[in-house]
Amino acid sequence: MDKTLKSSERKSISYAKWGYIFIIPFFIVYAIFTLYPQILTIYNSFFEYYRDGLNIIGPNFVGLGNYVKLFTPNLSGYIPIVKYTINTVILWFMGAVPQFIIAMLLALFFTSTRLNIKGQQFFKTVIYMPNLIMASAFSMLFFAMFSMVGPVNQIILSSGWADQPIDFLAMKITVRSLIALMNFLMWFGNTTILLMAGIQGIDESLFESARLDGSSSTQVFFHITMPLLMPIFIYVFITSMIGGIQMFDVPQVLTNGIGTPNNTSMTLIMYLNTFLGISKNYGMAGAVSVLLFIITAILSIFVFKTIRKK
Amino acid sequence: MKKLLSAILAVLMIVSLAACTKPVEPDKPAEEGKVFNLWTWNDEFWGFLVKYYADEKVDDFTVKKGDVTIKRTTYVSDNMAYQDALDAALLAQSTAAADDKVDMFLAEADYIIKYTNSDVTADVKAMGVTDFSNTYQYTVQAASDANGVVKGVSFQCCPSALIYRRSIAKAVLGTDDPTEVQSKLDSWAKFDAVAADAKAAGYYMIATPMDTYRVFSNNVSSAWVEGGKLNFDARISEWMDHAEKYVAEGYAANASGVWDAEKTNEMFATGKSMCFFGPAWYFNFCMGNAQDPEKGCFGDWAICKGPEAHFWGGTWMLAASGTDNPTMVADIMNTFINNADVCEKLVRNEAQFSNNQIINNKLAADTSYGNDFLGGQNDVTVFAELAKDIRFEHITPYDQGCNEGLQKYFQEFLKGEVTKDTAIANFKDYIKTAYPSVTVE
Amino acid sequence: MKKDLNKSAGIKLFISRVVVYGILIFLSFLCLFFFYLMFVNASRSNAQLQAGFTLIPGGNALKNFVNAWHDTNISIPIGMKNSFIVASLSAILTSYFSALTAYGTYVYDFRFKKVIHLFILAIMMIPSQVSAVGFIQLAFKYHLTNKLWMLIIPSIAAPSVYFYMRQYLEATLPLEMVEAARIDGSNEFKIFNQIVLPIMKPAIAVQMIFSFVGSWNNYFMPALLLNDIQKKTVPVMIATLRSADFTKFDMGKVYMLMVMAILPVMVIYVILSKSIIKGVTSGSVKG
Repeated sequence: MDKTLKSSERKSISYAKWGYIFIIPFFIVYAIFTLYPQILTIYNSFFEYYRDGLNIIGPNFVGLGNYVKLFTPNLSGYIPIVKYTINTVILWFMGAVPQFIIAMLLALFFTSTRLNIKGQQFFKTVIYMPNLIMASAFSMLFFAMFSMVGPVNQIILSSGWADQPIDFLAMKITVRSLIALMNFLMWFGNTTILLMAGIQGIDESLFESARLDGSSSTQVFFHITMPLLMPIFIYVFITSMIGGIQMFDVPQVLTNGIGTPNNTSMTLIMYLNTFLGISKNYGMAGAVSVLLFIITAILSIFVFKTIRKK
Repeated sequence: MKKLLSAILAVLMIVSLAACTKPVEPDKPAEEGKVFNLWTWNDEFWGFLVKYYADEKVDDFTVKKGDVTIKRTTYVSDNMAYQDALDAALLAQSTAAADDKVDMFLAEADYIIKYTNSDVTADVKAMGVTDFSNTYQYTVQAASDANGVVKGVSFQCCPSALIYRRSIAKAVLGTDDPTEVQSKLDSWAKFDAVAADAKAAGYYMIATPMDTYRVFSNNVSSAWVEGGKLNFDARISEWMDHAEKYVAEGYAANASGVWDAEKTNEMFATGKSMCFFGPAWYFNFCMGNAQDPEKGCFGDWAICKGPEAHFWGGTWMLAASGTDNPTMVADIMNTFINNADVCEKLVRNEAQFSNNQIINNKLAADTSYGNDFLGGQNDVTVFAELAKDIRFEHITPYDQGCNEGLQKYFQEFLKGEVTKDTAIANFKDYIKTAYPSVTVE
Repeated sequence: MKKDLNKSAGIKLFISRVVVYGILIFLSFLCLFFFYLMFVNASRSNAQLQAGFTLIPGGNALKNFVNAWHDTNISIPIGMKNSFIVASLSAILTSYFSALTAYGTYVYDFRFKKVIHLFILAIMMIPSQVSAVGFIQLAFKYHLTNKLWMLIIPSIAAPSVYFYMRQYLEATLPLEMVEAARIDGSNEFKIFNQIVLPIMKPAIAVQMIFSFVGSWNNYFMPALLLNDIQKKTVPVMIATLRSADFTKFDMGKVYMLMVMAILPVMVIYVILSKSIIKGVTSGSVKG
């Protein structure tokens, strides 16, 4: 025993350097292109540092000044970062609720031996497709479709549903709905496939015995499927939330970066992006990034817990 | 092999030594760069350069002139992306390799002052652009710094006219003759009165109030930023009232943006809007729908001065400090302001209004010259008259953000989504974010 | 009685099947409709588009294509070339180096192995936007904007791809195989490249596809980093279509540009949809 342990120890020592060699490219690249910029981002958040025309102002140390500014109400009377965080959550939620309900239903349909859905491969292929579409192009497409002179308004006018075109891109409810619809279309197929895999992972004999007991399909769902699927469901839900917090391409392109109307579709990352425009305001952008980091870190802890359970 | 290598090295060393020890000849100009970098935000001027200056086109981004390769670097203008990138390049100019240095860049009226009032641009008189007698005075003033040092020139002069649909003018005013139309629209009071008539006749006076924005904003008597503080000139407030009224009364077809499809669709034959505003470049680039062979209304247009003389836009070529091609910078500038042949071609072939008064006046007086798009009207005559009244004043480096921002946020009010106060507050908050150094109250 | 029950159960099943197929067809329609309309509109002239809506393609596709291809303000051919370079090189680098890193922490025993594995898992969820400010600042400082490799090289360190590869290795690679190869006298690099990589082929293929699609569609970072028209990638160009400018009045051309942005990925998807969908499940760590 002692001897074999020693020999394996020796072996692992002799090969250990290869372990380091193989992981070194990853860490060098990570350190240069991600870690260092991250540290710099955090560091920046404590400085006044921006461009005024061709002059660079700063970096001047301001302590928590940028954070104070970030939480100071603006001229319109609200705290931008709070409003934009709420916007982001609302926009995500509006898409995520139908996304998860529909995905759950589809996952049940596809896995149901009773229904025995034909053409599954086709349906899955179609519903997953929007996930691979370039979000900026998808959003541009929606902009063109729903503009005042676009095909959707042409349909509405020619069919007589309304005598005036509907300004989808100006109203809060329609802009938000369009963003939610795009997010829904892009993600429900993906969620369906993930939840399906989760259901398929449940021991078939549990369903079998439930059926023999005479349980209805609703009972099976609430007493067997859902509890056993919970860890995966929570995992998919929270990762969707983390993705939602980073929402950018769709609202940015749809509203041309200003979150029409009245900043009600301005998301956190869009706000971050405005600081990185002409003013190259590294200080304020840094503060927004730190906040974003904290939010995702909290969410990630939940993910970790579910992974651990799994 | 080794021998050959050492022989080559030896020869190289001798040559380079000889080059070093050669006495400097002061009167002979230094060798200039072989790569000329031009920065633009679209391909408008580039097209002219290819046609009227370059010897040979290599691809969409490169041409040859003599043994110099002219390269274009292009960034979109929207959301200030062009300024943003240009600033970075100019700030890095001193450390860039000679062939990467910016030699010449284009700038718009909205932000030209940011560059002319800075060391990043250079005196063009020293490079050999000395004759400005043919150009319009305001174009020289716009390209000069506070001390009167000229940093560039413009290849165009941009008086902006009222562009109207002849057929609609006939229906509303009973005439489409430019002189008579002008007499009925030469003040805002008259313009408003006609707007009511147009509405009664089933037409719109304008497509969108964003179109009249420049008429007001380029006739201001104070700047966007005064003493470091955001300032609303009386004319800007006047435009806001005008815009509000035109949308509320139904004098404007909609409240779309200047470049939106919603507005440009009004230029089709089916459009119901009578008046648009724009300089000579507007026909070329912005009225594509009016020129559409199937649905357009080519020839159904004419221009007149309208309520107020004003300018819109304009592109200046500025000389970048540190250029290694000063001779070519001067040569290009001289070509586009003083070469009579090129200037005339700009007017005749490109529907530009050139920055050469002699050529413009010659064509203005030429009764055989006419623009088919305008039903044969001689537009140069109108522009030559308008150019006399252009005021290029109260300019700040923040104008692009202020002008674009105000239109974007005020649009939300015009569309009925927010109150006027909220729209203005949103605009102010936008300026605060875009320009941290500007005080906003 | 029993027969009746069977019959009513049969009717119930029939009805629920009708409902389910109805829902599936509706959702599929929703997914396809907008894209179909995009293709139709890309084949119509600006004047036709203005005149009204139709589901029948027009005859202007070629003309729109030529106009879109030759628009020197957008320069889509250059964008497609740039996107292709970035996406394919990123795909190769990210899958190779992630596999290498995963192999490194899986096969070898070294002191910080556990810590390193946990560290990579921990950083997996940090959004890339958090490093954007510093990244952009450095790019400007060292004149590295408009350099495509700035978008390619960082893909070497992709925590989620690492995680996927690591799981795949755990499931498929017996350590004895590595031992056996060592006895045969192969060196460690050779073992990885000639024995392990072929085993990982399916995983690498899946990750290459996802990575290719991901960087083909990526917008946030390229938009901040690339402004030069000759260095832009497709999404950045597509986004400029939205912004105010006078070159966009021809909507036929605009639709055609969108088709050109989306089509390459659609073609890849149609060919490889089966393995892509399989990959979604096994790579369940993607956000």
